[in-house]
Parts: sequence; C-alpha cells; structure tokens
Amino acid sequence: MIDRLTAALGRSRADYTEIRVERTWSTAVTFRGRRLESATASEDQGGFVRVLNRAAGWGVASFTSLDRLDAMVARAHELSRAVRVDPPIRLADVAPHQAEAMLDLDGDVRGVSLAEKKRLLEAYNGAMLAVSDRIVDTLATYRDEVSEYWFVNSDGTILHELRPEVTLSGTAVARRDGTIEKGLESVGLRRGWNSVQDGLAGFRTAAERAVQLLDAPMVRGGTYPVILDPELAGVFIHEAFGHLSEADFVYENPQARAMMTLGRRFGKPVLHVGDNGAAPGLRGTLPFDDEGTPTQDTPLITAGVLVGRLHSRETAATMGERPTGNARAVSFRHAPIVRMTNTYIGNGRGTFDDLIRDVTLGVYACSAFGGQTLLENFSFTAAYGHMIRDGHVAELIKDVVLAGNLFQTLDRIDHIAGDFRWNQMGGGCGKGGQYPLAVTEGAPHMRIEEALVGGDVPA
Amino acid sequence: MIDRLLEQARRHTDGGADALWRRVERTSVAFEWGRLKSAGVTEETGVNLRVRHGGCVGVAGTTAADVSLADLVARALASAALGEAVDLPFPPRAPVPPVPTYFDRAGEASLDHLIQMGRGLLDRLAREGCRVNVALERETAETRVANSAGAAGSYRSSAIAVSADVWRIAGDDVLVLGDAFDGADLPSDAALHAIAASINTRLDRALTVVAPPEGALPVVFTPAGLAALLLPVTQALSGKAVLQGISPLAGKDGQGGVFDAAFSLSDDATCVGRPASRPIDDECVPSRVTRLVERGVVQRFIYDLETAARAKAQSTGHGQRGIFGKPVPGYTNVVLGPTPDGVGARHAVPLQLGGGLLANIRDGLLVDELIGVGQGNVIGGAFSHPVALAYRVERGEITGRVKDAAVAGNVYELWKRVGGFGNDARWTGSRYAPSVLLEGVSVARR
Repeated sequence: MIDRLTAALGRSRADYTEIRVERTWSTAVTFRGRRLESATASEDQGGFVRVLNRAAGWGVASFTSLDRLDAMVARAHELSRAVRVDPPIRLADVAPHQAEAMLDLDGDVRGVSLAEKKRLLEAYNGAMLAVSDRIVDTLATYRDEVSEYWFVNSDGTILHELRPEVTLSGTAVARRDGTIEKGLESVGLRRGWNSVQDGLAGFRTAAERAVQLLDAPMVRGGTYPVILDPELAGVFIHEAFGHLSEADFVYENPQARAMMTLGRRFGKPVLHVGDNGAAPGLRGTLPFDDEGTPTQDTPLITAGVLVGRLHSRETAATMGERPTGNARAVSFRHAPIVRMTNTYIGNGRGTFDDLIRDVTLGVYACSAFGGQTLLENFSFTAAYGHMIRDGHVAELIKDVVLAGNLFQTLDRIDHIAGDFRWNQMGGGCGKGGQYPLAVTEGAPHMRIEEALVGGDVPA
Repeated sequence: MIDRLLEQARRHTDGGADALWRRVERTSVAFEWGRLKSAGVTEETGVNLRVRHGGCVGVAGTTAADVSLADLVARALASAALGEAVDLPFPPRAPVPPVPTYFDRAGEASLDHLIQMGRGLLDRLAREGCRVNVALERETAETRVANSAGAAGSYRSSAIAVSADVWRIAGDDVLVLGDAFDGADLPSDAALHAIAASINTRLDRALTVVAPPEGALPVVFTPAGLAALLLPVTQALSGKAVLQGISPLAGKDGQGGVFDAAFSLSDDATCVGRPASRPIDDECVPSRVTRLVERGVVQRFIYDLETAARAKAQSTGHGQRGIFGKPVPGYTNVVLGPTPDGVGARHAVPLQLGGGLLANIRDGLLVDELIGVGQGNVIGGAFSHPVALAYRVERGEITGRVKDAAVAGNVYELWKRVGGFGNDARWTGSRYAPSVLLEGVSVARR
C-alpha cells in the first residue's frame, strides 16, 4: 500500500500533497429492551487526498474506490487551482517522520466471534433489566473496530498504524405513570476485547440511578455554589473552554484573536488546563495527528492565565506559533481540522469534603447527559445531582442543567480537589460535521462559587 | 449489482432478502472568515443487504469496491444466525408515486457557479466588525432498492445546501447568527437574498443588549427556535418509542385534549423540491403523506418494516437505511400546519420577525435559538435551555437581545394551548413551520 501511495504522490503536480487511506473492520451489537436489535459486521474503506498550490486554496477529494486514487489526486489539484487565495495559505514546518505504529490490540476484536460479543452485551443489558420492574426500556450497544491507517505526504512523512477501539454504552429508562427517567453508562477505550470484561457494575448502577430519579425532585432553579464531579468537570472544560482554544476559531478573526490573547487571565491561580494527545492509554491518544505532526502535551491555561492553543499546520503558520498535533479527521471522508485530544483540568489539592465543608446550600452536579457551547454561553445537563446542605451531600435531585457565561464561570472556579481522573467514555466530539471524534476528558472535583442552575422556576 | 446480490442471497435464505445500493457524489466550496479557502469532491458507493433466514433477520454493509457478493451474503447470514425471530414480510411490487427528485440545474451546476453564489452571499453580508463563513454543497445521488418479493425502485436525486453565519465579537460578547438554504434545486436569487435578509434583520435587532424578563411569560418561538418544542413530539410519534413503552403519546391516538385543536403535524415524503423527498423508502415501500396529528388529535405513528411487524402495524414508508446497520424509522419532511404549496416553498424570512405574533405581548420573549436542544431526557417533554439568541418583547415591540436567560417548561403542557401561529411559515432544514406563540413559559435570568 505504501508503494502505491508514494507512487501516486510522485505523480501529483501540486506543490503539496497528502494522501490518507483507511480500512476499518467493525462489529456492532445492539440490544433494545430484552430484544437483540442487531449484530453486524461491517467493512469500511476509502481514501482522502488534499493538495495545496501557490496562491491557490485547498483541493480535497475523498473516495471509497481506491482504483480512483490517481484520478482523485489529479482532481484535487484541479480544484485547488480553481480556488484563488490571497494572501497565500502557508503550512508550518514539521520534520518528516517515517513510523510503523501498531498499537496494542489487547485482545484483537477480529478474533472474537460475533456470538461472544452478543453474550457479553446480553449480560450487561440483563443487569440493567434485572434492577427493577420499573425499568421499562434499555438500549445497550457494543461496538468495536480495528482500523489500518496509512498516511503519506510530499514532505516525506510515511505512517502506517493499526488502531483498535472498543465502546460500550447503556441507557436504562425507568417509568412510573407519566414520569420517565434515564440512567447512562458509557465506556470508550483505544483497546480491545480484554478491556471490556468487567463492565457489569457500571450498567447496573445506571439502571439503579434511573429508578432512584423517579422519586427525586426537580432542582429548584437559581444560583448556587456548584461542585462538579470529575466527569462533568471534564465535559465542562472540553465544551466551554476547549473549543475556544482551537486556533481555527481565532487565526483569521482579529476580534476573536483579541479575546483570546495569550497572557489574558481566565481564572484564579488554582486553574490549570491542557490537552495531551500523547497521554498513554487514552482514547484520544495517537502518535501522530492526520497531518503527520507528532502529538504532545499542550498547556492551555497555567495558574489561571492563557498560555497556549491547539493548532494545525495552517493555523500555526498564520499565527507564528508551533503546530501541536491537533489536526484531526474522523475518517477518510473528511479533511483534518483543529480538534482536541485528551483535555484536562490539572490536579488541585485536598479532598471532595474540603470543597463542600463551607457550603450551606449548594448543588453537587454529577455525570453528563450532554453539553453544548455557543462560545461564551454554555449549557450542560448533569445526569443527576444532589443538594448540598450545611457541608454535607443531601437528597438526590434531577434535571440539573447548568447554564452560564464562560468567562464569568471560569473566573468563579475557586477550589479544585486533588482527586484527578480520566473519564474513558464512549461517544465523541462533534465539530464541522465531523462526529464522533474519539476524545477523552479528565478532571478532579471542582467548585464554582456561583452558577446558574436551570430547573423548576417559580412562576 | 443489486440484482446479482439479491439472486445470490435468495439461493442461501429461506425468507428472502432486500438491499439498498447508493452512490453519492458531492462538490463543496468553503469560504472561511470571508475568504474562499477550499473546494472538494466526494465519491462514495456502498451497499446494504438484509436477509431473512430461519425466521431471523441479519444485515451487512460495505463500502469496499472489491467485496465478493458471497462474502457479504455470508456476513448477513452470520448476523441473522444471532438474531431474534421476527415475521418480516418484504412488500410486493406496488405503484410508486411520481416524485421529482433530480433537478438538472442543480445536478449540473459548475464549481464556478457555486463559487459565484458564495461570493454573492458574502457581499450581501459584509459588515464592519463582523466575519462571515459561507459553505456550499451540491450532492447528486443514485439510489436503488429491491427485494426478493419483486418490489424495486431506483431514482436519481440532487440536493443543494447553502449556509452562512456571521460572527460579531465585541469584547467578550460573542454573537453568531446564521441561516441556510436546503433544496433539491438551485436556490433562486430571491432565496439567496432571503438568507442575507434573515441574517441582517436579526443581527440589526441584536446589537442592543437588554435585561431579560423573568417569570411565566408569553414566548414566541421562531421556526428555528421551535426545535426544542417539536423534538419530544416527533420522538414520541415514532412507532419505535411506542413499541418500547416510552412514548407519552402511546394509546392517545384518537383522543382529544392532548394538543391544541389548531395543532396539526404531518410528514410528507413527496413534497416537491425537498432533499428528503423520494418516491419510495429505503425498504421498497412507496412514499406518501402521513398525517401524524390532525386538529389536535393524534392519528398515526411512523413505522419501518421491522417496527411495524413487531407492533402488528403497517409500515408508513419511513424506513431509512445507511450503508452500515439496519433500517430504522425516520422522518422525511415534517410539516407543522397545512402542507406548503409550490416548489421548494418559501425559504424567505418575512419582513417582520415574529410572524405577526408580537403585537399583543406586553412583556415576553422571542426565541430564535436555544442551547442544548436534544440533551437530557427529551421524550419526557420537560425542557430547560439557556437562550443562544432571543429578544425581549415589550408592548408589542422588540427592544433588544437578551443574554444569560433560560427558558423551561413541559412541551406537552405548552402544546395544549397555543396562543397563535405566525404568518411566517418556512423551511428550516427538513421542517416546515411558522412561528408559534406559547403562554406561560418559564423564563429565568441570572
């Protein structure tokens, strides 16, 4: 394959050419309620070509038939020439790499029968159904893949990788009359079959939570001191701050650039944030990004001050900064764009109890149903929460939606505990029509002095 | 290819098979922060096969051009071997309605034409202190579906998507406003003008920031802002939700008092000029108009073949399938109120924001976009979302944009009594709806 790709590179008439080819074997099993919805094995393959010419724009082509490789290289060149760009697009230098990276498959999923995968998921799904007869519906999915990946570019980079991934998710729906609640479990790993054998307890807990939420009151809307658990804190930093640190948002937008000037204070000295695409063993980890740049640990906020951002080769060149290995594509169907990898809030000090000790009335928001940011404004839906009363965790509450302004909220993070953990969840990040991208988030418990919690609003 | 595949499948199964083959080509152009940046093409071909054997159903899909048909059949059979029994009847050949899906002007539009449309839009949106992104995409596709019972369909389709968003950052105030055209044919100049007018009108009104109101208030949701209020309803009207026992609307068909008597909702797969329209669904069931709610009374839920078989109902022609995985029930064009007439219908935003519903509001909100729609426990009907773009309405007039406010409520309660439907019905993606005035929506501020 490498010979075929370098030959096609050799025939390209463009100033810069890159070619990516992926071949992915995947299986998926889904249970809905007591019933198996489907168990399937699929094969997906295709290529992506991107070229650049002087005074011209990007020409890109993606295709499923590899016989079309030479034709698509030529077509991308034509498209590039049809796009006049002034000032020209420049790419920051990256030393060429030649690497074979066969990641640890940890029990190659291709060697496990579909029937065994079905049995595993059936057990996890069964654990949710067994919790209570209030559990009226479940959705349990197992998905795995092994992807063989080739990348070459005209700078001399040649990469060949084998990448595993396995994800498990469970949704338990509990119902009593008109009240419907759900509990979620989600695991996503860049590993294989051996890593998903002890998931039973997580699925059971999700179902138990759904049942407990039937009796939980809706949180009363208002402003509170809010403690986020590590999972929700991780989602928060990814959504509310991480996307702003992606340089494609600022590099050609002077107003955005002014807002995100390095050296600006974003939070109190307790706040440290970074993105680490090279952290060992995580789902967002890969040796190189999809432009052939090595991944790295990039500090974004140090002691409350903005110190860095995430780059592709193009955004780095425009801003006179260094590429950070954050140009990623979800598949051969897409061009690489600036994305996060494993985004984290750095560890603080002390315990969870230290965060709540002096809180007389507050909210402990846990786990995430989802989160969305519209730049300065964000909204997160916690999977569940507890009230905090007089320094203690009190009753379970539901419909905890956190809404706020990013700048105000970051500045109100006043206490970060020392109990950091990575959250290896499934799902993924979406941006520019590319979803789901494998990312990981990590954080300790953290406290926001005051935040708006939506919920039942007194009329 | 699909005929040979079905022939192969028929020899190895006792319950038949169906398949979908699709080839898609896309050409796209992107203007990033006001400059033309890239042009691209996509060519994608794939096939999805479903077999029924020993009473069980299995599926397999591939995009690999060199796949052997025997391999694909074997994978589908392996999938069926694990499957559960379902009495899935493949429908026989039936008359298919004529639905125009391919428009030459769109299918043959040149790259230069797309670039020109983009430049025209950029010029109309240029404004001091703002940056503009414009993306254009033309898609042509060829779809073939067939089954072993003799039903088959094949059609070509075209689709154009033009979207624009304007970014205005002043200090830490970030305002993003966008609109889009989606159609099977090229947009007229008037339709492109309407995108620009829609963005400019809403932007002009957003420049002043005012304090949000608070309490249980009248709120007008624009056609785009309605997403949060219709999503739980469409989820609950899916036969799949009924089958799983999680639809709050299950068993309420034929009953009054569930929705306001002026509330009607339908799904129209035959609507001319829409990219989601098609003569036949992805399981060989002919397309039609499905009345979901008529004058406040639930009429019908949507089904694909398998969900219908399990629910002892009939498919409503809502089978949707991709290359991987099995078909699922999915909507085509969802229409709130009477079905629109005319090709492509109106994309235009009317001159008056709020569709004429603001006049009698003493203090309330006009909501155009919410944050976090689709998160959380959607089907239950309770929602709580911060506003992304909303305006305060005082004494019948828009007085400015509000920030740091959230709206909350339960859609099933709110839809029981509608304060009014606007005169501004339009397409937003695959939904056709006017603005809607709802009373007693909780508005919270910080």
